[in-house]
Amino acid sequence: MKDLVRQKLSIHVEIMDLLNKQIEKEAHSSSAYLAMASWCDHNALANSADFFYEQAAEEREHMMKIFRYINDNGGTAYSPEVSNVNHDFKSLEEIFETALDQEISITKSIHNLVGKCRKVNDFTTEYFLQWFIAEQMEEEQTMRRALELFDLMGTEGLGLKLLDERIPNIRNKSQK
Amino acid sequence: MKVLHQSQFFISYQCDKQRCFFIEFPHKRIKLSFCQLLAFRQQVKEIDLNAHFNGQNPHGLEMLMLCNRQHFFVFSTLECIDLKEFITGSFAMLELNSLLTTPF
Ligand SMILES: [Fe+2]
Ligand SMILES: [Fe+2]
Repeated sequence: MKDLVRQKLSIHVEIMDLLNKQIEKEAHSSSAYLAMASWCDHNALANSADFFYEQAAEEREHMMKIFRYINDNGGTAYSPEVSNVNHDFKSLEEIFETALDQEISITKSIHNLVGKCRKVNDFTTEYFLQWFIAEQMEEEQTMRRALELFDLMGTEGLGLKLLDERIPNIRNKSQK
Repeated sequence: MKVLHQSQFFISYQCDKQRCFFIEFPHKRIKLSFCQLLAFRQQVKEIDLNAHFNGQNPHGLEMLMLCNRQHFFVFSTLECIDLKEFITGSFAMLELNSLLTTPF
């Protein structure tokens, strides 16, 4: 019997399912960052707002990368539904902490995916995911750098204002 | 045409010549491209069997449209349970076939 599946699809079917799950996660990240941007805007933290607007756009790009990868390789990508987006925060520090937690959970999810690729010998997807591994490393570093600023400059008053001014510089130079 | 998998109510076939799949339902047989088979699999995966037992879906019916809405099916709870097993079994056979045809 011919391997019709392989003729049509270069990704392992179960890996395709996990990639579709990852699409949902990236979409959720994007919406979560958008909510954070909105909070920053309302609390007169213009630079942090810009930072999160940009993060939101980046997460959507990640989502699209995976979306196209699935479809380009003969699979079917599903447009994600996003629910449970949190808009309530008590401080900018809490926002960055939430952002770091979110990035860590995305990193774990990508690593889990790579592990599964190895199990089923889907080396094509494993190779595709290498970019995401590097990206996640940088994202975690960025969020950690922001949190270090709070230790340095405090979480209130003028310190917070000055901190907001430093936010545009927390991205890795290589990332820009 | 070769049988991939047979469950209580359904049978799947692969046709090498036409490069497509067939599924035999109790009342008709339909032809599916691989894409359409994937879409069918997704729809079956999304069936929430719990809803059949906790009162959310009191009639225990699921309606599925297949192959760009060419076909319309209504399945009972029993058929849905069988359908899930059927899809898993069919794809397991496809994977097995893939392993066997891979030259080392
Ligand atoms: Fe991402
Ligand atoms: Fe990210």
